[in-house]
Amino acid sequence: MKYFVVIIVALFSAFIMADLFFAPPAAPLRQGSRFFRHQLHGENIGLECAACHQGAEVLDHAYMPSKSDCLACHRLPLTEGPMAESLDSAFADDTYPFYNWNVKSKLPEHVVFHHGVHAKAKVSCEDCHGSRYKDDLYGGEKFTMKFCTDCHQGKTFSTKNFRTAAVYCGACHR
Amino acid sequence: MERRCFLKIMGTLTASFMLFGCRLEGIFKSAEKQVSNSIDFANRVAKEVKQALSKSGESSLFSLNLVKVTMPGEMNPPMPVLSRNRFGMAIDLDLCNGCGECIYACNLENNIPLVTQEESAKGRFLHWISMVDGVPVMCGHCSFAPCEKVCPTGAATHTPDGLSTMVYKRCAGSRFCGANCPINARKFNYNNAQELGLSYQFNPKVPLRTAKVMEKCSLCIQRLQDDRLRHKTVLDSEWDGRGVKTACAAACPKKAITFGNWLNPESELVKVARGREIYAPKALAHLDPSVVYLKGKR
Ligand code: HEC
Ligand code: HEC
Ligand code: HEC
Ligand code: HEC
Ligand code: HEC
Repeated sequence: MKYFVVIIVALFSAFIMADLFFAPPAAPLRQGSRFFRHQLHGENIGLECAACHQGAEVLDHAYMPSKSDCLACHRLPLTEGPMAESLDSAFADDTYPFYNWNVKSKLPEHVVFHHGVHAKAKVSCEDCHGSRYKDDLYGGEKFTMKFCTDCHQGKTFSTKNFRTAAVYCGACHR
Repeated sequence: MERRCFLKIMGTLTASFMLFGCRLEGIFKSAEKQVSNSIDFANRVAKEVKQALSKSGESSLFSLNLVKVTMPGEMNPPMPVLSRNRFGMAIDLDLCNGCGECIYACNLENNIPLVTQEESAKGRFLHWISMVDGVPVMCGHCSFAPCEKVCPTGAATHTPDGLSTMVYKRCAGSRFCGANCPINARKFNYNNAQELGLSYQFNPKVPLRTAKVMEKCSLCIQRLQDDRLRHKTVLDSEWDGRGVKTACAAACPKKAITFGNWLNPESELVKVARGREIYAPKALAHLDPSVVYLKGKR
């Protein structure tokens, strides 16, 4: 009897340890990078999303800004503000033209997605990305197949009168 | 054994299986994938293509037996979404000399895996194009596609543009489609090519397939999709696929393969086929294929 209790307790603690050390971390809502904040770079200073995400209106991916995009405004080192130091150090490394924004693809490789087609059809960024990025929180977007096909069939966003789009498998899969 | 004891043992075992099952992957990290460089791998592909060419006589499961057909027109039966496009190819047998360049180009474009020694010895390759009687044969993208009718999961479907497509993620590997294809154009991934180091992603735009799915010629759907999306973003005119070429058509040294749109009288394909005798393998002739063969003048 005792043995069993000991064995079971040992097993359980072993599993918990295994979880702690080996399991992939759960994906939480992601806080943006340490220093970039959409809050400060939004409509209030008249920036279009596409100024930084240059593909968002014409290409498949929206893409991330390069340093030179930031330097258009931040040519002079920031002197105040809590994030100034990390910005300056990120820009200091001249050998590296792109700051390595931590952005992972959210769609599997077999799915075809294209920002440009949607921008042309007047689907706005908020329709898909929500407005949480404005609070510098990402990760709440739901890119399930149903989300895509429902809008394509006009079941969702019906007040916005988007044109109906393709729902045959070959439109989004390869 | 005492009953309580038995129950306890079973209970512990069940609990540990449930707990372990999902952790194994984390604990025993899968062995490092074989890395090989692209040039080496391309050489292996080229070698395999040569092997396939040399074996093409012995292993073909059907004889080509070309018969005359008419020029492909509107899709039949009509698709639920009407389209002004029907893509297809014509292979000019007066020009083709069976060199196999198309197979090589196709393999690289679509990241087609190599096969194991045993399979290649039996003449079983995964190549989407095979040489039958010295003629390149690939999926005909038939309008009455017999393969799609028998797919139990709906992974094999048609696009309004006349392509017979596969959603590999949906494919459960029943192989009914393969059995129902008269020209054996569908190839089944018996092995996990990635784990065996038999596949290499030359083309980042085409995902690698997993084991136990059927694959076949897609008419380079990735090229068509990309062109269509780009066109829709920049231009207002209707897209007709002008300018797109499949990998095999682009690679053919004799320019024997022409890709195009059967429904556009201005397309290169229709221009090439006009005034020629059009043939299809006898087994496909009644299925209205989009890929046909040209021989002689009419
Ligand atoms: C001044 C440049 C700039 C502007 C303007 C801008 N962004 Fe960003 N955006 C960034 C940077 C930099 C990141 C990466 C931040 C990070 O990693 O924390 C980012 C990240 C994102 C992400 C998260 C990507 C991911 O998956 O992690 C989304 C979504 C996004 N932006 C949407 C928008 C939208 C919508 C707009 C317009 C309203 C916009 N952005 C305007 C620079 C900008
Ligand atoms: C259109 C000009 C413009 C561009 C382009 C721009 N910024 Fe800014 N940025 C500003 C302005 C204006 C402020 C000051 C906002 C405030 O303090 O209210 C600012 C503030 C900041 C701050 C300071 C925030 C803080 O809390 O101290 C950081 C960091 C920053 N930007 C990073 C970036 C990065 C990274 C990029 C490139 C992806 C970028 N900016 C592109 C205009 C710009
Ligand atoms: C129809 C829905 C949709 C719309 C509209 C949309 N996006 Fe996206 N966006 C996505 C999806 C899906 C992804 C994930 C793509 C991936 O991971 O490959 C994404 C990814 C991104 C990313 C991450 C990086 C990248 O290169 O893909 C950024 C940044 C982004 N979008 C910005 C924007 C901006 C800015 C707009 C408005 C001009 C916009 N998006 C409009 C669906 C949308
Ligand atoms: C808010 C509505 C909406 C959502 C959400 C949406 N789309 Fe779209 N999509 C459209 C519209 C509108 C078009 C334009 C149709 C056209 O121009 O014919 C389109 C077009 C497309 C096309 C081009 C279709 C063609 O005819 O070639 C693809 C591919 C596509 N979307 C994929 C996706 C994917 C993948 C997702 C999910 C991540 C998605 N869409 C989510 C509205 C949406
Ligand atoms: C409008 C775009 C769109 C269309 C049309 C579409 N899909 Fe998808 N599909 C997606 C997206 C986006 C995902 C990825 C969802 C995710 O990652 O959760 C997906 C994922 C899948 C998956 C994988 C699901 C998984 O759990 O991994 C399968 C299987 C699938 N689709 C089958 C189909 C079939 C069959 C059709 C045709 C009837 C189809 N899809 C049509 C956008 C689409």
